[in-house]
Amino acid sequence: MAETVAEPLVKLRGIAKKFGPFVALNGVDMDIYPGEVHALLGDNGAGKSTLIKILSGVHQPSAGEIIVDEKPVVFRSPRDASAAGIGTVYQDLALNQLMSVSRNFFMGREIFKGPPPFGMMKLKEMDIITHDEMIKIGIDISDPHQAVGTMSGGQRQTLAIARAIYFGAKILILDEPTSALGQKQQMEVLKTIKRVRALGNIAIIFITHNEIHSKLIADRYTFLSLGEVIGSGTRESLDGNDIRRLMAGGAEMADLEMELGKI
Amino acid sequence: MQAERKESDRQVSQGAFRKFIRRPEIGAFSGMVVILLFLAIVAGDVVFNPLGIKNNLSIISQLGIIAIGACLLMIAGEFDLSIGSMIGFAGMSMAMMLKWGLPFGLGEASPFMAFTLTLCMTLFIGWIIGNIVVRSGLSSFIVTLAFLFILRGLTEVSFREFNEGSTQISGLPDFKETDFFAYLFGGETFKWAFTLLYEMGYNLNRLGNQWVIGLDAKVAWWICIAIITYIVLSRTQLGNWIYATGDNKESARANGVPVNQVKIGLFMFTAFCATVFAACQVFDTNTADAAKGNLKELEAIAAAVVGGTVMTGGFGSIVGVIFGAVIFGLVQNSVFYISWIDGSYYRVFLGTVLLIAAFANENIRKRITGGI
Repeated sequence: MAETVAEPLVKLRGIAKKFGPFVALNGVDMDIYPGEVHALLGDNGAGKSTLIKILSGVHQPSAGEIIVDEKPVVFRSPRDASAAGIGTVYQDLALNQLMSVSRNFFMGREIFKGPPPFGMMKLKEMDIITHDEMIKIGIDISDPHQAVGTMSGGQRQTLAIARAIYFGAKILILDEPTSALGQKQQMEVLKTIKRVRALGNIAIIFITHNEIHSKLIADRYTFLSLGEVIGSGTRESLDGNDIRRLMAGGAEMADLEMELGKI
Repeated sequence: MQAERKESDRQVSQGAFRKFIRRPEIGAFSGMVVILLFLAIVAGDVVFNPLGIKNNLSIISQLGIIAIGACLLMIAGEFDLSIGSMIGFAGMSMAMMLKWGLPFGLGEASPFMAFTLTLCMTLFIGWIIGNIVVRSGLSSFIVTLAFLFILRGLTEVSFREFNEGSTQISGLPDFKETDFFAYLFGGETFKWAFTLLYEMGYNLNRLGNQWVIGLDAKVAWWICIAIITYIVLSRTQLGNWIYATGDNKESARANGVPVNQVKIGLFMFTAFCATVFAACQVFDTNTADAAKGNLKELEAIAAAVVGGTVMTGGFGSIVGVIFGAVIFGLVQNSVFYISWIDGSYYRVFLGTVLLIAAFANENIRKRITGGI
């Protein structure tokens, strides 16, 4: 079994979160390595969303600590998390449909000269950077002035990912990037994720429902169920049956088949 | 084997002409051309003589000033229905200071002081409106509708209080003759063009002297505001923020755009436009009336829509609004020159144009957001 030599970029230790009497997360440990795709799997309500919201600074954990580069950190806001290099690409992608690709790429972080907010944008430079950054992860947009609303779902994902990386994300959280896409678009997104992985220095947390997608690209797995980790390991240490069983929240497929058979 | 087709190949690149006719302003531009041609045919001698040009541009530019304010705010996703009442309020405030001096007995008011103090007040009111809208999350339609009533009421009350029950002030001194600052708003501009016309023999009155001296100063204000806002909207960081705010507020905020400040700033900008409108009127005519600016907010919004601004925000252009203001101003003013048309048909016509424009804008928006 080939163990990764590198140190984890992010370590989660005993992360717990309570919303009033409801225990959303109950002591979650997770190690995230650079240059790897870490699949975070689990059923609806398993606590995946709560976990990534804690990582991206939206929620604060009730207990436990987040360690980035060997240093414990506290995120009071999404801004703190993004300053620490955590970039989250949510399902809505935070893109504006009526605006052009390069205006979206630099939205809120424009390159300009002169006194803000009246500084003149360097539109040429912004177009070129947008184009280059998207080519790096595999999409050649012919026209950076094209409105985002005219792009396909896969292209939009790529734009959001390229933007997060360009603005310094070392840990990229992708929240179900393949849901709500067609088959071919899903493959495009998986290719994009592979290319980001190939950059080598970026850790990717890939949240998904889809067993096949996770098998195609993940190096490491963490399975959540009812707020706890019920299994984790590298691609080599888990076989297909384990993955299927853990995705179903620990239920054995054979048991399920039996239960179904009884009806 | 067939060459591999990529996704980006589906975005067909278009020639210059196709790109030109797909611009958002093209509808307003063609409408303007049609109206100009129509007027040239049926009433060219009155509409396009020097006096006609002066009068038309006067109406067009005063509408144009507030339409630009309304347009920027609409791009950011909000409305301002208080523009008209703000015009009345600002006019009243300036005229009262000019007539009775500064508040709290601070002595005579120069045109500069009257304008500056009034601008401070209107910007403050714009700031309050903006804050109420962004903090309460109420629709700007309702908040500014409330201020439409509040400001108009305050204007009338203040007038009656100081002016022996009258809601008009007339017979102010003719400041534009003696004061440069007043001349900036009430004076004349582009005199050289009319002198040139006179020398070429086109600008003569019955006695053979020069007929029209120049255009109203508000034309120059309109042009300046249009150029500045054009640059701000299309080239600056703030312009990107304005589009982002109106398109999708949440994603703009997630990317660090100060959405609330953008909106508050634009409510203050519409207040600024209304104040400039009022100053041009006060210093040009030396009068003020509590009813000034009535319904102007709706005309401003209509001109912005005719100019291609999308009602739901995120899309629009200054060039389009310029065309929109020309269409509105021309029709409003010129139909009265045509003897065989009942002047009130202009409202019917404008209503129809507005509806067509709104359909066209929605179509553009759907074409973009519908995507593939």
